[in-house]
Amino acid sequence: MANLKEIRNRIKSVKSTQQITKAMKMVSAAKLRRAQDNIIMLRPYAGKLRDLIDNLQGNSSEAEALSPLTENRSLDKVLIVVVTSNKGLCGAFNANVNKGTVQLIQEKYSEQYKAGNVSLLCIGKYGFEFFNKRKFNILDNKNTDLFSQLSFDRVNEVADRVISGFVQKEWDRVEVVFNEFKNVATQRRVNEVVLPISMPEQTGGGKTSSVDYIFEPGREEILSDLLPKSIKIQLFKAVLESNAAEHGARMTAMDKATENANELLGKLKLYYNTARQAAITKELLEIVGGANALESN
Amino acid sequence: MKTLHADIVTPDRKIFSGEVQSIQLPGSEGSFEILFNHAPIVATLETGKIRIKTADGKTELIKGVGGVVEVSNNKVSVLLEKAESI
Repeated sequence: MANLKEIRNRIKSVKSTQQITKAMKMVSAAKLRRAQDNIIMLRPYAGKLRDLIDNLQGNSSEAEALSPLTENRSLDKVLIVVVTSNKGLCGAFNANVNKGTVQLIQEKYSEQYKAGNVSLLCIGKYGFEFFNKRKFNILDNKNTDLFSQLSFDRVNEVADRVISGFVQKEWDRVEVVFNEFKNVATQRRVNEVVLPISMPEQTGGGKTSSVDYIFEPGREEILSDLLPKSIKIQLFKAVLESNAAEHGARMTAMDKATENANELLGKLKLYYNTARQAAITKELLEIVGGANALESN
Repeated sequence: MKTLHADIVTPDRKIFSGEVQSIQLPGSEGSFEILFNHAPIVATLETGKIRIKTADGKTELIKGVGGVVEVSNNKVSVLLEKAESI
């Protein structure tokens, strides 16, 4: 009989776990929609900015000379921005980024790493904890928390820090590692070089000169005003993508968990019924046996 | 009255989109206004008020921080870092 009670308790606890995973899935679905909206809202701005920069640069060598942000220096010091999440329970989401970052360091920057010149900027608690435990060189030695209140302003501050560090030669290259949101079920890990800015190759030659703009104050000033903006946008986009991907990953993980709980419940119920049936049979046998014993007396 | 199309966007959202008669902007070299058939221009903006006169004659004010404006073919695109309507 005690066995029956144990199974009943077990069923109850699985059921309540299932309720939690179900609720988390629902919450993630709602948050995912908002995160996707944010990405869509960024698109017009990002698109216009890109058009404008494309329009402004006559030829790439000229633009490179103009701005310290496009300067290709010898690779001594590297900063890697690692975008993870603040919360777990989202499958391999964070492990993917952490693993990818380690791989990136081993493959591309092993020399710099040996010299102790690879720093990490951790956005999100999970990346920070992972690399802190492994004694990596973390910038400011803290988790740069953006997700508790995600806004362009906050990303802006981080971007300013990254840009000023590059200009002051604290690092010669900045790369960002994050999960790109492909669709609800799939995320793709991406590495992007943020700094120095690589100027896209001019295609189709004279196409850009078709509009004869007036520049105020001047073309160079405008371009040097726009380039940091494009970095900020790139970083903001990475953070937004990662945010959407996180919710997508959590949604899938929680969906799987709910499904697994269902399966477990089915098995437990079967087991419970078998045990109950066995107990009843046993009782019947006892009664029949008892009656027989009385009769034979 | 001939109108031109204006889009005002920030990274967070679209602030304004529609037909306007004129749009007054705080350029970094001084305030200026854009009317129909303005020559193509790209200009950086200071922090300040943007005054829009919409096609139906209403006036809208937007406070913008740091941005750039591009005008070509009677299309105005204003990119701001931060903005709020007032």
